[in-house]
Amino acid sequence: MTEFSLLSPIQGQKGVQGIIVANSEGIPIKSTLDNSSTVQYAGLIHQLVMKARSTIRDIDPQNDLTFMRVRSKKNEIMIAPDKDFFLIVIQNPSD
Amino acid sequence: MKPKSSFYQITSLFFFPQLFLNAPEDHPDDIYPIVLTTATQELFECCIDEDVTDQSPYKLLKKDDIIQDIKTRAAVSDFHPVKQFVLDYPEDEILLVFDVDFTYGQSFYLVLTPEAKARIYNPPQPEIIEVLEDDVSKTPEPKPWISLGSELEVDQESVKETREKLCYKFYLKRRPGLPVCFSDRNSTEAECRSVECPSYQDSRFSIKRMQRDCGMQAVPRLQSSTTQTQRAFQRNIFTQYEPRELSKKEKERILSSENLRKFLNSVTPRVLHALQQTHIMNVFTDDFKALGIGAEASDRLVMVSEGLKLQWTFTDEKRAMGNKISSVSWHPTIHGLIAVAFIKKQEEQLDKSTAYINSPAFIVFYGFPDQSNPRLLLECPDDIFAFEFCPSNPNVIVGGCRNGKVLLFHSTIQHITVACLLSHQDFDKKENKTPVMRYCAVSSIESSHKSPVTDVQWLPKTFEQDVDQKTMMTPYSIPKTFKHLDRTWKPLFRVLSCLGCITELMICVFAHVFVMPLKEYTILYNLTEIRKTHTYIYKQFYVHFLQEGEIVYTDWKLEEDEFERKFSAKPLLCFRTHAWFVNTMQRSPFFKDILLTTGGWNFAIWKEGVMGGPIFVGPSSEQEYSAACWSLSRPAVFFIGRNDGSIEVWNLLLNTSESTHFHEHIASTRITCIKPCIASSKQHYLAVADNLGMLRVFSVPKTLRSPVKNEDLNMQIFFDREHDRLKDYLEWEEQWAKQRKEAGESKKQVVSSGF
Repeated sequence: MTEFSLLSPIQGQKGVQGIIVANSEGIPIKSTLDNSSTVQYAGLIHQLVMKARSTIRDIDPQNDLTFMRVRSKKNEIMIAPDKDFFLIVIQNPSD
Repeated sequence: MKPKSSFYQITSLFFFPQLFLNAPEDHPDDIYPIVLTTATQELFECCIDEDVTDQSPYKLLKKDDIIQDIKTRAAVSDFHPVKQFVLDYPEDEILLVFDVDFTYGQSFYLVLTPEAKARIYNPPQPEIIEVLEDDVSKTPEPKPWISLGSELEVDQESVKETREKLCYKFYLKRRPGLPVCFSDRNSTEAECRSVECPSYQDSRFSIKRMQRDCGMQAVPRLQSSTTQTQRAFQRNIFTQYEPRELSKKEKERILSSENLRKFLNSVTPRVLHALQQTHIMNVFTDDFKALGIGAEASDRLVMVSEGLKLQWTFTDEKRAMGNKISSVSWHPTIHGLIAVAFIKKQEEQLDKSTAYINSPAFIVFYGFPDQSNPRLLLECPDDIFAFEFCPSNPNVIVGGCRNGKVLLFHSTIQHITVACLLSHQDFDKKENKTPVMRYCAVSSIESSHKSPVTDVQWLPKTFEQDVDQKTMMTPYSIPKTFKHLDRTWKPLFRVLSCLGCITELMICVFAHVFVMPLKEYTILYNLTEIRKTHTYIYKQFYVHFLQEGEIVYTDWKLEEDEFERKFSAKPLLCFRTHAWFVNTMQRSPFFKDILLTTGGWNFAIWKEGVMGGPIFVGPSSEQEYSAACWSLSRPAVFFIGRNDGSIEVWNLLLNTSESTHFHEHIASTRITCIKPCIASSKQHYLAVADNLGMLRVFSVPKTLRSPVKNEDLNMQIFFDREHDRLKDYLEWEEQWAKQRKEAGESKKQVVSSGF
């Protein structure tokens, strides 16, 4: 499939644990993780993105959310939202 | 009836000549016909056919009015001719009668005398009043009574005395003047019963009842009943949520859409950028923390000065003397409580059947800080070689005895807390009496082992086992159920393993493994002849160490042989790492697949899943190792006890060839058991038991209890490295074996070709 080639530069990066592509409602389209984790991630992060986006736009309606990084003890989650989709990448930090 | 006319006076009539002249003939003297004009009629309200008619011709006129009229109109008035009569008239009202038939010649006539008036005109009102007056005033006179027969019935029903009442008077003659004594007596008492003549049924005489009065009452029959309609049917309903998912077609459609491609193209650079950033540098590190906390972080500096510090020594003169401690265990939840099992030292006993224990054995509970008096004793029928607290329910303790039986203790929490809270003063007063508790259940003789039980372990719940028909699963909460368990334990299955598995699988009787299921946890224990062996659980396999230092790896699953009896699988591997008895096998608390074993004169570290052998073997020491345990807080540290009573502290990250710390002669004899315990973050204890029945508790110093930075990571790297080394070694050995074989064959060929 074509999107593999598109995702491969991301997947090739060091420490990447998983990639999820979901639509604007939080339903996963494509993922490299197992189904239950995918569904959980997509659902939860969708809510987070909605909240963050509304926060940014509340502060300044001209503004919009472009990227989100959530750093946790064990890994880092990167979220790139868009009008119709959003992309979630989970990475293990270097050390 | 003629009314009394007492009011009426008889008056005489005066005859006036003019009257005669004016009045027509044929009229009585007291009647005077007159003509009344319309105006007069209207004035006196006696218009013809209006006020006075044929039916009511009478009209009473007032005398004053007439006089007035005469005065006003004088000669014109109609009443002028009768003026004198009117004036003389005694009464107030004069009767005027309308003469329809013109009997007296005119339309009206006037009645001149009151008698005539009374005669002609009878007013009804006074009559009525007179009648009423008559009735009321008279009082009714009593009438004579007419008998209708009711007095007969009254006489019949009435009760009359047939004879006069008889009266008897009894008295006791006594002389007056004597002293009198009055007292009370209860008439219901038997002694002073009052004399009475009760009535009795006389058979000679009977009365036949002829008539009986009975009353009837209609009672409405009441019945109350209720119904209640159930508003709703009770139904179990539940809602289960499922995450939304796209169908395959949808997914494919989206995946192939241009939109997605554009999105990914636009987003990828950003994501790559972020990924590279995190990879390059960790922006969230705390530099100060990374520096470490001074001297504690470095092991090298503080090698010599700090070591294990002796905190307490527990002995119990009555029970401990002369006995060696077989097993030590900390209480999982209560801090400061440690349990010790004693076994008697005995000389080599050739004849086991006569080995009869005279005094009962105990598991002794010691508590801080009381060093010489135990807190609680658990009574056992025989020496206990191994015991364990149940991890999920610390009130349960299972023990394995010398005679092969398995015991179960169940204590309520009060027992143990009471034992702990008893203060030192109480003990003095109580004359050193410690509470004793008996065991709750014991396995029966036929299903026990034949040899001493040396190791007991609790299996976690994750193991799936089929319940054999021979066993029973019993609920596990109340001591009552243990009575039921008592003597009914049967093994889940028997696994017979062999000793010398280098050659063939031999079914021998020496080593048995019994598994008893108990709800969540299963106890697994095995036994051998004299020395300890341990069994270890790893998923489907269990590792079984034997007395010759061999380590056997066997599958847990049951197989069926041709007789359809459950049969244990053949052991897969067998290693001879330790030269002598293996006495300790323990899983590392940090790494799930790393095991430490000690036996003989060295120790070994194993990794599960690695079938080639131990990944690390420690160097041999001059003294035999008798006990070992991992440190609970540091992944790289473990403690080894030796035969001469010393403890070695090993730190694999620092030095793999020798121990880091060496505490010489902590105990005077061989150390039998070491167990660590974490009481709080600052207090780590190590319990060391020896052969003389002494239990020493050491506190672990900070260097040995606080882990170094990234210690677990480094240990993981170490183990991986060792693993790789082992793999390489095995490969190399294989190759070398192949080479040798080839060399041998070629030699043979040369030799054979030589001929």
